[in-house]
Amino acid sequence: MTAAARPANTFGGGFARMLSRGGLWPALPAIVFLTVFFAMPLAVLFAFGFVTIERGVVQPGTFTFQYFIDTLSDDLFWKVWWRSFWVGTVSTVLCLFLAYPLAYVYTLVGRFWQTVILVVTISPLLTSALVRTYAWLVILGGRRGVINSMLIELDLIERPIRFLFSDFAVIVGMTQIHLPFMILPLITVLSARDRTLEQASLGLGASRTETFFRVVLPVSLPGIVAGFALVFAISYTNFIIPQLLGGGNYTTLAVRVYEFIVVILDWNKGAVLAFLLLASCFLFVLGITYLGNLAMRWSEADR
Amino acid sequence: MGAVDWVGAVVLGCVACFTLLLLIMPSVIVVAISFTEKEYIGFPPEGFSFRWFVELLGRDQIIESAVTSLRIASFTTVFALLLGVSAAFALVRGRFPGRMAVTAFVVAPQMLPGMVIGIAILFFGAYFAFYQSDAMVIIAMTVFCLPFAVRLVMARLAVLDPTLDEASVGLGATKSQTFLRITMPQVMPAVIGAGAFVFIEAFDNITVALFTSSPRGRPLSVELYNLVQFDSSPIVAALSSLEILFALLIMIVLARSIGLDRLRT
Repeated sequence: MTAAARPANTFGGGFARMLSRGGLWPALPAIVFLTVFFAMPLAVLFAFGFVTIERGVVQPGTFTFQYFIDTLSDDLFWKVWWRSFWVGTVSTVLCLFLAYPLAYVYTLVGRFWQTVILVVTISPLLTSALVRTYAWLVILGGRRGVINSMLIELDLIERPIRFLFSDFAVIVGMTQIHLPFMILPLITVLSARDRTLEQASLGLGASRTETFFRVVLPVSLPGIVAGFALVFAISYTNFIIPQLLGGGNYTTLAVRVYEFIVVILDWNKGAVLAFLLLASCFLFVLGITYLGNLAMRWSEADR
Repeated sequence: MGAVDWVGAVVLGCVACFTLLLLIMPSVIVVAISFTEKEYIGFPPEGFSFRWFVELLGRDQIIESAVTSLRIASFTTVFALLLGVSAAFALVRGRFPGRMAVTAFVVAPQMLPGMVIGIAILFFGAYFAFYQSDAMVIIAMTVFCLPFAVRLVMARLAVLDPTLDEASVGLGATKSQTFLRITMPQVMPAVIGAGAFVFIEAFDNITVALFTSSPRGRPLSVELYNLVQFDSSPIVAALSSLEILFALLIMIVLARSIGLDRLRT
């Protein structure tokens, strides 16, 4: 029988068996790695918000909420937080309105255009966010900026308009750079939808517009919620775009974290800010998901 | 179609075209201006030359940081694949209690911004007098990229037909023969795709690298971050164009290995 011929105890055989049949342990290296270099560092990061750590030792008796109290009672913190929130929200909403039509058109066109849309959507994802932000510096720049030089060329304006270093520039950049993250979940949900519902709706005499709003839009809600939560989270925590397109005096919560840790070197405050950034981000994502679920239930009840 | 439907269709088409253009125009503009002859950035670019690319190659600091980035990206890819591929096998094929929880833990770094991962490892390292260095970037980047590798390979494993493996064993192949000749060839495209994805991410990433890289041996992304802020010559555009070209090459690898459709999710 073949059993005798099987090199059951060789290294290769053992390794293969380990991967192909069942236990937890092929995942162990990853689990150990992430415990040491992900879970523990996160714990240390949050610990920095409460205690003084010197030479790797938590100093006894230094536990304090003072860093949190200081941060939360600082007016600047709330100003900066508010800006993070509304810039993130505006650019996420813009993203949704720009992305939805393209994702919907994706499901209506032929194979060739589908590939074009996918290539154009995915290729920016593989380009560094820095390069894409730089592109906006070039486009929105002063006299030599793309938009200004074209407007001057066309004699529409005499002096360059100041686009850069403003909320406008940050919102435009964020919206464009995060578009793929909104388009992809929408494409996934819209491609998987059941087309017979639409045919039924049209067959029963509803107009295309009505069919879109009463059939297509409701079934795509999960994609809208997923895209919205994702784009909000990455916009809210991005510090590169506000820093480059907003200029030196433009701060958001994420920029503030960077400043405290890299420039001011106050790690306790930096840790508190990082914690607050993450915690508030999770709360917003939970809120978005909750509202999304409400909307889904409401649209089902409506039908 | 009624009048409202026509208006709707026109609006839909216009916005879709606008979004499509919006996605590519910035990259096209950057590539276009990198071929300018002039000392400054301008649009439309004046003349056509490769002078800024030549100048780029003459800057030792940029070449050095590109080498640093290649090294970081290579090590990260190897580590993320080693850890990720075997973890994916356990998570898809394994039968053990708490599988969902383990899966959630392994892909958890994806839920956090790169900045938080970078800062956490920076703080953690300070504990052991382990400071910003290539090694720290590689560790942080592996944490950051591991979920991508795990998820891409898991997605592939989940759609494989296990009866093929059973057939192989039933026909008398050993476990290791089955693994090497039947299972691995089917998983390989996902492994290559995951490798390409991790490599470009580790090469380009700024949010993790900014906090973990040493000021003496800066990776290219951190170098570019400084150039973008303080150098207004077209050399930055030339460097950006090369990165865009690199991204397109990686995309061809991805399209061939796992298919663009699969990358969607």
